[in-house]
This record gives sequence, C-alpha cells and structure tokens, in this order.
Amino acid sequence: MIERIRRASAKAGLNGQSIAPASPERWALFGPPQLLEGEDAAAYDQLLARICAAVKPVDVIDEIFIVDVASLEWEVLRWRRLKFSLLRGLRLQALENFLREHVDYFASELAEILRDILPKHQADAAEDLANKCCSEEPKAVDRVGKLLGEVGTDLDQVVTDGTRRKAEILVRKYERGEAGAVKQVNKLLAGQGESLDRLLVGNLVNDVDDNNLNDIERIDRLTTIAESRRNASLREIDRRRAVLGAALRRNVQEIEEGEYKVIEASAGGKTRFDE
Amino acid sequence: MTSERKINANRANARASTGPKTAPGRTRVARNAFRHGLSLPVCSDPVLSEEVETLARKIAGPDADAISMAFARQIAEAQIDLRRVCDARHRLLSNTMSNQYYDTHANARRKVKLIGLLLRPDAPEMSVETLTKLVTSTPQGPRKLATILSQEAKQLLALDRYERRARSKRKSAIRGFDATQKQSRSVMSSVTSDMQL
Repeated sequence: MIERIRRASAKAGLNGQSIAPASPERWALFGPPQLLEGEDAAAYDQLLARICAAVKPVDVIDEIFIVDVASLEWEVLRWRRLKFSLLRGLRLQALENFLREHVDYFASELAEILRDILPKHQADAAEDLANKCCSEEPKAVDRVGKLLGEVGTDLDQVVTDGTRRKAEILVRKYERGEAGAVKQVNKLLAGQGESLDRLLVGNLVNDVDDNNLNDIERIDRLTTIAESRRNASLREIDRRRAVLGAALRRNVQEIEEGEYKVIEASAGGKTRFDE
Repeated sequence: MTSERKINANRANARASTGPKTAPGRTRVARNAFRHGLSLPVCSDPVLSEEVETLARKIAGPDADAISMAFARQIAEAQIDLRRVCDARHRLLSNTMSNQYYDTHANARRKVKLIGLLLRPDAPEMSVETLTKLVTSTPQGPRKLATILSQEAKQLLALDRYERRARSKRKSAIRGFDATQKQSRSVMSSVTSDMQL
C-alpha cells in the first residue's frame, strides 16, 4: 500500500516534493495523524499531500474536509489490509491442515532421526533401516519401534511430528512462491479434488469457536462506515466547489460589467453602454 | 420492629463507612463514573474552549459578522468534539495494541484454569517449555487487531455514536455558514451594482 501511494505520488509528480499545506499551524489544529503501531507516517503524509494537491483548499473548512478524507481513506486502507491479512492467514492455516493429512513423510526424514539415535558405528545403516521400515518390512518396523522406544517415543509420534513439520515448511515455501513447493501443493490439491478456496471456506465454516466469520464481517462493516463517511466528505467538497464556482462566475460577471460605463442618454432617449 | 440497639449500631456503622478519607482517595473515587468524558460539552473544558475560539476565528475570517461568527463557532465546536472522539478511539486501539499480554477473554480464562490445575497436588505433568508456551502465547499481528475489534466492540460502538453526532452537527453548521456567506455575498454584489448604476 505504502509503495502504491509512493508510486502514485511519483506518477503525479509529487516525488520528493513536499506539498505543504497553506499554513502548517492550521494543520496543527486538526491534531496529529492517528496511526497505529507499525503504520508508516511518511505514507500518511504523502496521502494527505496528494489529496491536498488535488482539492487545492481555499479556506479552513476545505482543509477540515481534506484531513477528514485523508484519515478516513487511511482507515479504509487499514481495514482492507487487515481483512486481506486475516484471510491469507486462514487460507495458509487451512492448507497446512490439509497437508498434514496428505503429505508423505519420507524415509530420508526418518533416517535423520535414526542417525541421531543409533550408535556412531551403526549410523551408516540408518538410511537402509528407514527405507525398509517405510516399505513396512516387519523386522525393520520392530527394530525402529524399539530404537524409538529407547528415547521415549514411537513411530506414530515421529510420523505425526514429521508430517506436521514438513507441512509447515511446505506452506512457508508456498507462501514465498517457490516453484517446487507451489507445484507440489497444486499436485496434492488436484489429487484430492480440492482447491485453496474450498479449504478456506471449510476453515471459516468449521472453526466456529474462532469467530473468524464474525471478525471478517466486523471489518467489512468498519470499512463500509469509513467509506461512506469519506464519500460524504467528498460530496461536501463538491457542494462547496459548486457554491464557490457560482460565486466566482458572479464575480467574473461583475468584473466584466465594471469594464463597461454608462453613456448619457442620447437624444432619442435611449441609454447606451460602451466599452 | 427494629430495636433501638440495632438502629444505633447501623448508624454507627454507616458513619464509619463514608468512603475514602484521604485527598488522593477522594480524588480517585470522584472519577469512578468517568469513562471518556465525551458526553461533556467541549465548552466545559477551558483548554478546548480556547481551541474552539481560535478555530472559529480562522473559519470566520477577520471581517465576520455576528451570524457568521456564531456558525463558525458551531463548526469549530463540532470539529474539536470530533477530534476528541477520534482521539479517544485511537487511544483505545493504541493502548490495547501495545499491551503485549492482551488476549481473548476465553484464552485468559483457559490460562487461569490451567495454572489452577497445576497448583493442585495431583497436577498433571507438563514440561516447563510447554507450560511457558501455553501461558505466554497471545494473538499477534492482524489476529491481535481483529481480537481487539471483537472484544472492544461495545466501547467502539459507543464512540462511533459520538462520532456520528459530531459529524452531523458539523455538517449542518457548515451548511448554515455557507448559506450565510452566500447571502452576504449576494447583498454585497447588489449594493455594488446599485452603486455602479
């Protein structure tokens, strides 16, 4: 968003140039910008400067509306950003839950654990043992079970923890847009006839305790309120511009009429105007 | 019928419990019913009144007549009132956002219950790491803001009502001010044209 405002400012020729309002002490009357933790004050200033440059305030009331529009627009952007972040988080959470059930826990991960457990001179056999265990050879499964039991765990626990870890890593890579992870996730989703949107909807509907749907609705309501207030301020600026336009037209007319002078009545009794 | 002895005892007890005695105690309880002070008019605060006057003079301009000045004062009052409401809302959001222990009521209850369980003699076994994670985990980032919006909804709604009222007052005052200005401009222009003729 900040980048977008900067790009827009650059496009409008405002880059690096501070559009200072008519008088800074006037803006002080409206109080400091109401930013929350982590919000960029410079981006807010740029937004205010852009609106100010577009409206070109003529009096304090115009300035009141400009500050209003800027702060309400900032609020709209804040709520939109929040909704987007929440939905993205929920989508990734849904994907992670899906991957925990469908991602394969490979022999290589088991081999790494076995390498740590086995005595040093047998460490090389870890990979072979893991492979045999994954292809469900009874002797290997027994041996792995015993080895894991010695360190206070079992195969089920190792597989559960492993798939959880693997799903987390895969989701992180997917989020970063790594090609391999995206391909793997898409393949797993297609294999189960699922899509990310369906997973998200499932997450929203099933997690009633988390109030996710209520949160999204609340944010939508806040966005609508801020938008309607911003639009009301814009309408007021329009109305005042119309009044100002009419006043200016009248003034121009008066100035033009002032350029004419009345010439005394002629013999015919008619009054004539001349330049 | 209440006995004389009981009445006397009640009176003596009542005299003994008349609230805090010290000056700081009295000051503190005097603010018990105070929440945000937004129901008080702006003019009841001398600092804000001064701000209203400054803003009103700036709105009306140097040669303002009495009617314009009255409307300008109304606009300034509504504007300062609006700023007061926005400040209160901002304070509420900022304070809760900066509270690192802020959590949902349900989670806080769960944590208290868990600690209560662990303090019992037959407490379940739990590693310090797991316990620390369970007790110190709080919503972060966007989830935290969503939690605040959900839990402070009642207060935010009350502030929103004040904001709506202030905006409505300001809008009517600005329209009144603009109408007065328009009228005075048309009077001025008719006087000018009369003088030219």
